[in-house]
Amino acid sequence: MRSRFDQQLATLNQELTRMGAMCEEAIAIASKALTTGEVKLTDKVLSLDGEINHMERTIETLCLKLLLQQQPVAKDLRQISAALKMITDMERIGTQAADIAEIIPFLGGRTGGECGQIRFMADAASRMVTESIDAFVKQDILLAGAAMERDDVVDDLFLQVKSSLMKLIAEKPTDGGYALDLLMIAKYFERIGDHAVNIAEWVAFSVTGEHKKTVDF
Amino acid sequence: MTKKIFQSIMAVAGAVLIASLVIIVGCLYRYFSDVQGKQLEDELSLAVVAVEKDGRGYLEELQSREYRLTWVAENGEVLYDTQSHGEGMENHGDREEIQEALRNEEGKSARYSTTLLEKTLYCARRLKDGSVLRISVSSVTIWVLVLGMVQPILIVVVVTLILSGVLASHISRHITEPLNSLDLEKPLENNTYEELAPLLNRINKQHRQIDMQLSELQRKNDEFAQITQGMTEGLVLLNEKNIILNINPAALKLFHTSRSCKGKDFLTVERSLYVSRAIQDALSSGHSEIRMEREGKEYQLHINRIESKGSVIGAVVLAFDITEAAFAERNRREFTANVSHELKTPLQSIMGSAELMENGLVKPEDMTRFVGHIRTEAGRLVTLIDDIIRLSSLDERCDIPFEQVDLYEAASDVMAGLADIAAAKEIEMTLTGEKVSVKSVRRLLTEIIFNLCDNAIKYNKIGGRVEVAISRRENEAVIAVEDSGIGIPPEHQARIFERFYRVDKSRSKESGGTGLGLSIVKHAVQYLDGEIDLQSSPGQGTLIRVSIPEDKNFTDGC
Repeated sequence: MRSRFDQQLATLNQELTRMGAMCEEAIAIASKALTTGEVKLTDKVLSLDGEINHMERTIETLCLKLLLQQQPVAKDLRQISAALKMITDMERIGTQAADIAEIIPFLGGRTGGECGQIRFMADAASRMVTESIDAFVKQDILLAGAAMERDDVVDDLFLQVKSSLMKLIAEKPTDGGYALDLLMIAKYFERIGDHAVNIAEWVAFSVTGEHKKTVDF
Repeated sequence: MTKKIFQSIMAVAGAVLIASLVIIVGCLYRYFSDVQGKQLEDELSLAVVAVEKDGRGYLEELQSREYRLTWVAENGEVLYDTQSHGEGMENHGDREEIQEALRNEEGKSARYSTTLLEKTLYCARRLKDGSVLRISVSSVTIWVLVLGMVQPILIVVVVTLILSGVLASHISRHITEPLNSLDLEKPLENNTYEELAPLLNRINKQHRQIDMQLSELQRKNDEFAQITQGMTEGLVLLNEKNIILNINPAALKLFHTSRSCKGKDFLTVERSLYVSRAIQDALSSGHSEIRMEREGKEYQLHINRIESKGSVIGAVVLAFDITEAAFAERNRREFTANVSHELKTPLQSIMGSAELMENGLVKPEDMTRFVGHIRTEAGRLVTLIDDIIRLSSLDERCDIPFEQVDLYEAASDVMAGLADIAAAKEIEMTLTGEKVSVKSVRRLLTEIIFNLCDNAIKYNKIGGRVEVAISRRENEAVIAVEDSGIGIPPEHQARIFERFYRVDKSRSKESGGTGLGLSIVKHAVQYLDGEIDLQSSPGQGTLIRVSIPEDKNFTDGC
């Protein structure tokens, strides 16, 4: 009985890791599409987003099945409930990567070079996702902490992007639409960072049993 | 085993007990029945004699509680009965014993009562007057006898069972004790039943076999570990569930993980979709190959399925570092492209001029200029091909005679040859240093100095200077060529010794070089076991120092 449960838990971990890897790839491709201006890359992101959504359903079903059939307690329960929460965040990351991919064709081949920080944002956000998935795979609270701290960097970068885009609009009012598109992309990256932090927090919860947000209150 | 022995002993004890009881009771019963029958006959004989003598009087006087005498007339009518005195009794003519007596003089029979608890024995004899005298006695049946013995039998059974139980458990424990205390690690050292000897021998043999197989396995394992430890290629063994069975140090480094990853899912080590898809591919189709970049290095991953007895049992991932191979491949592609380009340019120019002349579009007075043009371009082509031939002969490392060469002399000869070109650019050339004699190849040394000086002049400013210094250092001769030219930017310094590599590609035509000069220098120096040192800063000049061993022990060749 227990060995079957262990096997199901292993499958859950495997699927979660795979879903995490898909998220990483989606955001990596989206960043690459942004920096190189290769519009055809965006199709890949969109199809990955579809796969991620599908994966969310699969993992959700698996979690519910585990909860119903095995009635887990203690660490197992934490792990499964954390998984249920994490897939929501991963799905959001996938969708936002797809949102970024949808905007890129409207940039008209420009790559956001006027505003260098947006590339740093792409890098930082994608590293945060990698770190939080890494933290999950290795069940490492330190890595989770690193991902949470990097969120401040992304938030700062977002403010910098905002002010530099304001400057761009003031200097060249004709680029207004372009600047707004970049702003949206920056906002998506910022949101992706937030979701990565959520994942890291759930990883910490499944390991220690304490969720950062509830401790704060 | 103890239980089994116990049970058998108990069963045997129980069976013996029951069998002996049955036999004893049966024998006894039969014996008593016989005795009773005989007694009955004797009594009857006595009674017959008495009745024949006394008639009814004897019967009436007879006082017997045990026996019952019945006198029956020939027609079956009861004449007298000692129990009911003969009144009101039915005709006995149909009774078995009486009929028998009437027929054969004597008759016997036994009848059971309805409850089976009582048995009546009858014995009848015909008297001389034709009537029949019957005697009967009631006796208990065997069941009553057994029933009466139940209590003592039960006591005996219980006592026997308890005794045999105690004995059986003791014996069975005693029998199995040597078996329980067998030392299976050293089967031959046991002192136990000889019936076990073949088993123990067999165990001993299997022990030795297992030990041998174990050490063989250990040896193979060690061998495998030794091989994989030393491999520069990364090796990962996966089972069919993608769990890491084995991973070598090179792979640990490549995937940034530690030994603890053994037994975990490969996804936890490398989760990129690209790689996991390749593994899936390999598991389904047998083989897959991908390239992957890690920290600026390029790796090629070969993934092969492992099969055993028709079923997939895992996969092996081999990672090769192909950074250098990829670099060499890129270089080769560039070289081919460059060679074709360099060869084609002068030929195009020659063809162009020749076509103009062929079509009569060239005025006679321009003819000389065009022919001259064709000649210079052809000359360029020859120089280029010469350079390529020299390079490839250096590549081939063919045996070239070694002789004593004076470097200072060689340098001054070369400089004399270049004096005209230098003068055209108003470049001042100086030669300093001492006479240094080395045992080497004169042609290669001239080549080195020529190409270095040629470059120093070509890539120099008008009115610049070129300084050549020959010196000796320990066992080496050093040729230093310094110019005040345009210099080489740092990002190009690593590549200028490559064939056809030009710092500024647009200048190639103007300076007239082939792009092979420094490459020839590099190969020549390598051939002579020397070293090249380059110092350069853009706009200020370049210093190239070549050091060559004074006496190379020439051992290798082609």
